[in-house]
Amino acid sequence: MGEKKDSLEDPTKQNQHVGKQLPDNPDIDMQFLSAPIKSAVDKYQLVPEFLKVRGLVKQHLDSFNYFVNIGIKKIVRANDRIESSLDPSVYVRFKNVRIGKPSVPSDGVDDEICPQFCRLSDMTYAAPILVNVEYNTQGNNPQKTRFEKNDVTIGRMPIMLRSCCCVLYGKDEAELARLGECPLDPGGYFVIKGTEKVMLIQEQLSKNRIIIDSDKKGNINASVTSSTEDRKSKTVILMEKGKMYLHLNMFSEKIPIMVVMKAMGMESDQEVVQMVGRDPRYSAVLLPSIEECANKGIFTKQQALEYLDPKAKRTYASASEKGALPVLRDMFLANVPVRQGSFRAKCIYVAVMLRRVIDAFLNKDTMDDKDYVGNKRLELSGQLISLLFEDLFKTMIDNVKKKMDEIMGKPSRSSRFDPAPYLCGDSITNGLERTLSTGNFNVKRFRMDRKGMTQVLARLSFIAAMGHMTRISPQFEKSRKVSGPRALQPSQWGMLCPCDTPEGEACGLVKNLALMTHVTTDEEEGPLISLCYYLGVEDLELLSGEELHTPNSFLVIFNGLILGKHRRPQHFAATMRKLRRAGKIGEFVSVYVNEKQCCVYVASDGGRVCRPLVIADKGISRIKEHHMKELLAGVRTFDSFLQDGLIEYLDVNEENNALIALYEGEATTETTHIEIEPFTILGVCAGLIPFPHHNQSPRNTYQCAMGKQAMGNIAYNQLRRMDTLLYLLVYPQRPLLTTKTIELVGYDKLGAGQNATVAVMSYSGYDIEDAIVMNKSSLDRGFGRCIVMKRYSAVLQKYENDTQDRILRPDRKGYGAKHMRILDDDGIASPGEIISPQDIYINKQSPAVTRGTRVPPSELPNIGYKSSKQTFKGPEGESCVVDRVALYNDRHNNLSIKFLIRHTRRPEVGDKFSSRHGQKGVCGTIIQQEDFPFSERGICPDLIMNPHGFPSRMTVGKMIELLGGKAGVSCGRFHYGSAFGEPSGHADTVEAMSEILVNKGFSYNGKDFLYSGITGCPLQAYIFMGPIYYQKLKHMVLDKMHARADGPRVLLTRQPTEGRARNGGLRVGEMERDCLIAYGASMLIFERLMISSDPFEVQVCRICGLLGYYNHHLKTGICSSCKKRDGMSTMKLPYACKLLIQELQSMNIVPRLKLAEA
Amino acid sequence: MDGGMSYQRFPKVKIREMKDDMVKFELRETDASVANALRRVMIAEVPTVAIDLVEIEVNSSVLNDEFIAHRLGLIPLTSDRAMSMRFSRDCDACDGDGQCEFCSVEFHLRAKCLTDQTLDVTSKDLYSSDHTVVPVEFSDPNDPGEQRGIIIVKLRRGQELRLRAIARKGIGKDHAKWSPAATVTFMYEPMIRINEDLMDTLSLEEKRTWIESSPTKVFDLDPVTQQVVVVEPELYTYDDEVIKKADAMGKSGLVEIEAKEDSFIFTVESTGAIKASQLVLNAIEILKQKLDAVRLSDDTVEADDQFGELGAHLRGG
Repeated sequence: MGEKKDSLEDPTKQNQHVGKQLPDNPDIDMQFLSAPIKSAVDKYQLVPEFLKVRGLVKQHLDSFNYFVNIGIKKIVRANDRIESSLDPSVYVRFKNVRIGKPSVPSDGVDDEICPQFCRLSDMTYAAPILVNVEYNTQGNNPQKTRFEKNDVTIGRMPIMLRSCCCVLYGKDEAELARLGECPLDPGGYFVIKGTEKVMLIQEQLSKNRIIIDSDKKGNINASVTSSTEDRKSKTVILMEKGKMYLHLNMFSEKIPIMVVMKAMGMESDQEVVQMVGRDPRYSAVLLPSIEECANKGIFTKQQALEYLDPKAKRTYASASEKGALPVLRDMFLANVPVRQGSFRAKCIYVAVMLRRVIDAFLNKDTMDDKDYVGNKRLELSGQLISLLFEDLFKTMIDNVKKKMDEIMGKPSRSSRFDPAPYLCGDSITNGLERTLSTGNFNVKRFRMDRKGMTQVLARLSFIAAMGHMTRISPQFEKSRKVSGPRALQPSQWGMLCPCDTPEGEACGLVKNLALMTHVTTDEEEGPLISLCYYLGVEDLELLSGEELHTPNSFLVIFNGLILGKHRRPQHFAATMRKLRRAGKIGEFVSVYVNEKQCCVYVASDGGRVCRPLVIADKGISRIKEHHMKELLAGVRTFDSFLQDGLIEYLDVNEENNALIALYEGEATTETTHIEIEPFTILGVCAGLIPFPHHNQSPRNTYQCAMGKQAMGNIAYNQLRRMDTLLYLLVYPQRPLLTTKTIELVGYDKLGAGQNATVAVMSYSGYDIEDAIVMNKSSLDRGFGRCIVMKRYSAVLQKYENDTQDRILRPDRKGYGAKHMRILDDDGIASPGEIISPQDIYINKQSPAVTRGTRVPPSELPNIGYKSSKQTFKGPEGESCVVDRVALYNDRHNNLSIKFLIRHTRRPEVGDKFSSRHGQKGVCGTIIQQEDFPFSERGICPDLIMNPHGFPSRMTVGKMIELLGGKAGVSCGRFHYGSAFGEPSGHADTVEAMSEILVNKGFSYNGKDFLYSGITGCPLQAYIFMGPIYYQKLKHMVLDKMHARADGPRVLLTRQPTEGRARNGGLRVGEMERDCLIAYGASMLIFERLMISSDPFEVQVCRICGLLGYYNHHLKTGICSSCKKRDGMSTMKLPYACKLLIQELQSMNIVPRLKLAEA
Repeated sequence: MDGGMSYQRFPKVKIREMKDDMVKFELRETDASVANALRRVMIAEVPTVAIDLVEIEVNSSVLNDEFIAHRLGLIPLTSDRAMSMRFSRDCDACDGDGQCEFCSVEFHLRAKCLTDQTLDVTSKDLYSSDHTVVPVEFSDPNDPGEQRGIIIVKLRRGQELRLRAIARKGIGKDHAKWSPAATVTFMYEPMIRINEDLMDTLSLEEKRTWIESSPTKVFDLDPVTQQVVVVEPELYTYDDEVIKKADAMGKSGLVEIEAKEDSFIFTVESTGAIKASQLVLNAIEILKQKLDAVRLSDDTVEADDQFGELGAHLRGG
């Protein structure tokens, strides 16, 4: 049988373990042998194929593409006509809208631009929004007055990089390189005014779904957040003291639900009870509510409306209709449409809500979990921009309409009205740009006011950028002290990374997508609804209340809307799925049968998270060996797997109807799906960790945070960029121990660390508390060497009086020439020059007068200038180099200059390093190579790590990494450590590594026999030594070290300033003071708190106890209140104290000092 | 030592293998301190010449100036003359600014890529002002015929690199670029004694598994006598595996392994700056000079303070 297996398998794969699973014992298990062969097909290749098709930031791109191709057209079509309110025959009509090519207007013509150009010259990467308009300007004139204009630019839409509108779309590596773009860059962000902005994925509770929850008092409620194109509302049905009430913002108080039912025409209590359910338990719970309504004397629709009318708020938008009926029609459960005045659909919806509340009341288990991922929707940039655009577009239309009326209102119109100039305003362009650059979404029309929606893309390392693109920002404010939303949800499996979350206040709230997650976009609802009816859904309109909940019939709910019921739910679901697998309906439509609620949920809305899975029939995978061979041969793509029904996307809800086997071998007959690869449950950041499944879980979380601070390569175009701060490693390496994720993401091409030979031993005592000892020779040879580039900029400002800044030739002689050494003759520092602190990098002058009347051009040479040189303030005693100087015109057409100043640093004591296992440490000391331990092979470690780092951290993965790295260097093959990869061959086993080590003459356990470099004697113990990938983190002492003897003081209090940037002092705080008091070091406190801080000499009047002043003529103190000079004493007190006394005096409080002889 | 009157010993050196860049020798009849001193001096104190100052005229390559300067520094230069050169810090001829023939060597590099093919700038492009100090010959072990040179930077069309570099004498203690040693290591010579009687109690299979337990091939089975023999004692890495194995087999004392405290096997590999054999000789020379410096320090009180008993011993002989 072993032979059979081998013949089935591709020889390139390392599936030897399959053979090993066979029992070696002679008495062969006959049952095992006769069982059908479950050939484990290596499905790994699907992952890169998925990423090739979908990419790591595909959710952003898909969402934006959807908006640009469909969303924007829908918005314009919905608001396509601007009519004059004075003469409806005068109109402007938008016929079509499209997004042009990314360009920038210059002198009336649009110049095409590429993203790199925008980054460098602080521009917005945007494309014109072009519309075709038709307009009639003359009213009912017989003349031909209908005009058409094509491709009118109504604004500029910032373009997401790599989206279908971007110039980078579909470009290959060479073409990208020509455009100055890194091929590994994922795109998915915007370039706004030269900065890269990411619109974070926003996590929200599902819209238009019934959610059963309990409030603080333990009352059960059912809430629906309704959201349609034009209305948003939140409806809550609450059960309080056994009675049901409705909470709606438009009503001033809670309203008995039966009154609402009656107001909607459901006058018969019996029908309500029937609709909720015939079960006597339901009617029993409902009874108090019915009684309450009856007690109020409300029996008819008319009575109910009369009761409701005064409670409906007047603020309701459509002022033309007053009363409760429009509120019930438009705002109450806004997602349920009212057709021809029939409230029946709404009544049934309420009944279903009631039924679920009662279910929850009778059985607490049926409560919904708000943290369940299936109840969540991810809002992506496309949706957000679409809202923003709609708002701006409508505002623009309003403005045009106003202008139109204004012109039409004029009695004599000299010229023909041309709408084009009003359409071409800047309001859309500016609105989009401002919102994206500040991240403050303030869309009044949709009652949205959210801050911090966009962030500057973290370009600290390649992984930081990738991690940023997959980040999900929470809906909750971070201050809430609840553990529920922060906890790891089982439903996150495969969708959201279980490791990657920050520590501290946002812990568990900020999440990251897993590797294979896809976020859906909206899909056309109409065809799907009619399909449901075709498949035997009985229309709601035709059902009586009684029939609604007959046993064995399931309600069919489509995107939160009740369509009707179906008698054979499983059959219905199976048919839907079959159609989906056949590609007849969208691949992201989900069908989920909820047995408990007797409902079938069909969802096609946007924002659901889903992931691909292999379909299995009765536990047998549909993907066979030949499929994978075809994939490798390039005959198949990921999409053809989808089309052929081998793979499908499941969202979180539908996963509940599936039984998913982790591996093919574990599948039973009930299994419906098989995971593609288990390591895809992790995200990008956690994917870098080798053997994460051997680590203690928080360590992986720590590494996810630290991987983003590691220095390395940022992108292929890193040296063409002009970032404000750039950290690069001089010799970055590819990790010896890789994972499949590393290869997929491109970390092997843009690494952020070096493979250091680490000896795990104690050395010198400078290695306590996670400090590491480093080998000086390794540092000499370039280990941990990094380049820090900082940007400085200067603008030659133009002023309102037509004057302008200017750059002067540097002084070559005389005072100040020393600091102008590095300037070229044009007054700008030249690249390649060594720049030290206080050096001038631009010899700029500004006009003395910049305001007031315009200076005629002839006068310009005669105006006065004052110097505004810019001096370099870098680390003292270090030499930096001017790396690059870039000149460009900014948006206001001022000449701007960017300087990039480079500093190469070698590691020093105090610099922070970390392995990939959340084990950070600072460099404790640097020791000569000859003092370092060595093996008889001559191997000498690059750094020494204290073994105390291991027991409490339990980072076994790090030990395996060392072993694998050692095996890797000695046999010349990169070893793998993908998460959960051992069974599928994507992680090497410890046994295999040990075997290689033994073959290469090392000990199987990775320990070496070392000699002390100081004495030459053998060390007492064998030392665990081998290569571990170490990251240099951005925290370096040079940027942090700070001391002050004397320095600047704050003007107000005369106390020393605070903070390193202001050369501030180190504060002796309250707790430090308490210690000194406890110890009794009174003079030390006196010295710290006054002498070294803000001592001040005051004149105190012994008579009145107030502060006086010192008269320098009379050489004596005078009390200003007593007007006397005797009885004055001189004393010292903190200036802050004097300030306090004076401030109190200004508030009419008289603090008097009573002096006694000391 | 009889009487402890004299610490003097006469270490013996036996050279086993000698190539230009590698020497393997035995050092006997001395102790770890001497062996280690020799090792340390070889790594840290044998002087070589390396590029120390780089003046860049034109650099339009992708690597920045410091980057290239660092790479240039690490290129080994032939330094046979280094022992006789002066450190530029105590060179009288040039006031220590490192511009004279006694303490420095000037290099020039001019490279410009004019074709569409990538141009590799290598150590061969460095032109020395002194023919005795040149970048070391470097050839690919797979293709020994061709001299490739050490790559400094790669240029594409239109990029240019022009610089002047000054090489100075220095020691590995100051910077690893001056260290002539690639690998200097030693091991204690192991003494392996097999307990033949006990060994005979093992079956052939047991013998095989016991031999296999050592990661290095120290033992083997004599094909004729079927006896376990020590084939290569020096491959033994003091890993105790065989001893543990013997214990596990219940045959404790099957083999006794001891490190000979007074004999060492050295492996010295040089970077190519000086020949490996010369490296050893230079190291001995420097070690001698250092000892002389101790012995010749006239101020006995100071020497006593510094060296205590050792100082008195040195003076007393």
